[in-house]
Amino acid sequence: MTSTIESIQNGESTVSNVVNAAFASIETETFNAFHESWIHESQTDIEGPLKGATIAVKDNIVTTTGTTTCGSKMLDGYQSPFDATVVERLIASGATLVGKTNCDEFAMGSSTEHCAWGVVRNPWDMERVPGGSSGGSAAAVAAGLCHAALGSDTGGSIRQPAAFCGIVGYKPTYGVVSRYGLVAFASSLDQIGVFTRSVKDAALVAEIIAGFDLKDATSVDEPSPNLTSGLEKSVASIKIGVPRGILTDRNDAEVNEAIQNAIRVYEALGATIVEIDLPLTDVGISTYYVIAPAEASSNLARYDGIRYGHRTKKKNLNLFDLYAHSRAEGFGDEVKRRIMLGTYVLSSGYYDAYYNNALKIRRLICEEYDTAFSQCDVILGPTTPTPAFKIGAKSDPVSMYLCDMYTANTNIAGICGISIPCGFANDSGKPLPIGLHLQGPAFADATLLQVANAFETATDFHHHHPEQVS
Amino acid sequence: MNANEKNIPLTTEAVRHVAKLSRLALTDAEIEQTKEDLSSIFMHIDRLKQIDTAGVAPLDHPSELLNRDRDDGVGETLSQQQVLKNAPAVKGVYIDVPKVLGGES
Repeated sequence: MTSTIESIQNGESTVSNVVNAAFASIETETFNAFHESWIHESQTDIEGPLKGATIAVKDNIVTTTGTTTCGSKMLDGYQSPFDATVVERLIASGATLVGKTNCDEFAMGSSTEHCAWGVVRNPWDMERVPGGSSGGSAAAVAAGLCHAALGSDTGGSIRQPAAFCGIVGYKPTYGVVSRYGLVAFASSLDQIGVFTRSVKDAALVAEIIAGFDLKDATSVDEPSPNLTSGLEKSVASIKIGVPRGILTDRNDAEVNEAIQNAIRVYEALGATIVEIDLPLTDVGISTYYVIAPAEASSNLARYDGIRYGHRTKKKNLNLFDLYAHSRAEGFGDEVKRRIMLGTYVLSSGYYDAYYNNALKIRRLICEEYDTAFSQCDVILGPTTPTPAFKIGAKSDPVSMYLCDMYTANTNIAGICGISIPCGFANDSGKPLPIGLHLQGPAFADATLLQVANAFETATDFHHHHPEQVS
Repeated sequence: MNANEKNIPLTTEAVRHVAKLSRLALTDAEIEQTKEDLSSIFMHIDRLKQIDTAGVAPLDHPSELLNRDRDDGVGETLSQQQVLKNAPAVKGVYIDVPKVLGGES
């Protein structure tokens, strides 16, 4: 992305050449990454730091141009009357938005198999998932269809697909990027973030979208952080925490090998490796699958077939049945499952044992991170236990949920996290990317990106692209 | 202890009740499938009971932000046309809905 921006600045290329080339490749893509592609109605030819960059937007972020469906029949054809703050900021920066990418319905999923508009495929192996829920955005960037893409991350939905697709996926600290215009799934966990092919590109895009927004009550009252000027700093004084027991046979052997190699890379760069304890990693998914569905059941109550969204065509229904049939018809199975789970854990008789208890564990998870970050600057581990799995392989909900076992606690604590490519698994015959997961304390995003950048500069995994391998 | 002993006894009736609370019209087959799915999810979630949370205060939000105020003035607003654009049924300037008052609802 940076080199394209530079070539526009020195006149070697024009925005329209870049954009036309992007639309040509989007037109013929076979991954089902895009739901729609268009030029935004308020796109102008302005001078800005991202002029020349082509950026896709996950379809759970509202745009006045085109539709916002959240991968769901519930919102088929929905035309948002406003743009998300992040959309406005990107356009104002000179970037060209190129359309909306497919995602798991209402951001609920880890494979982008639960999209009403069809499964999205991994550009590294068409028989495999790109990860989810931001699979379309990840596939688009991995396949080189656009320079960057916005995603959202509630339990790992940016970082996990970034790992599966061999690209950078960054989730800022909660509150750093405005959620105004992000269709709410779990309000205390959701964050918008970016997919790019390099850490520097991620920092550039994040700087544009980050910063206080009056329209988001959970937006932190700070200007956009400076994420780029310290990127090249050395990691010689950095302490990297590796959780005890993170590299067990729960992970594929090739994943463990890649992470051990990453540790050696950091050692060679002069960082200090420290063993830390994060035992609550083991219950992160269980905690997440109480809190997130509970919040989702509340957030998705607005889809009632009245003011917008799908309304059942069945006639002569009372109000209750109008709601119940509109919702049953509009939502897919995974969404219904999570709404039911959330309603259950919030219901009378179960609230204390499940939801309230999960909130107590949430506090314990935060405290565990605080202790860990008193011993290290950044935490390192695998993003996922395995590389991308085959489409259809995880039909059992729990096995799908476990994909996010290493990423969910980042959202629970509201801290920052990033996945960067750190190797390939070759056992299956085709090279499948492996992601390195780094987590930093809240508001230490600049340090997180600096540490990620150091690894990227010392290695060449991020230079491998699927189009080179066929 | 085998897996079934840890299973929360989710009954069909409980699932029907939750479907009603969730305003979801599920078929009998969907109720049974949901019962199976939720049972296996709860087997996983029940591990949380092993964590000692005595004396721990619940944390519902990571940032512990306080609510913010702004002046109660009119800012950007949507036009009627924008609001009605996505409505499933419109009559004039109204969203057309089934009758709610005056009889069984």
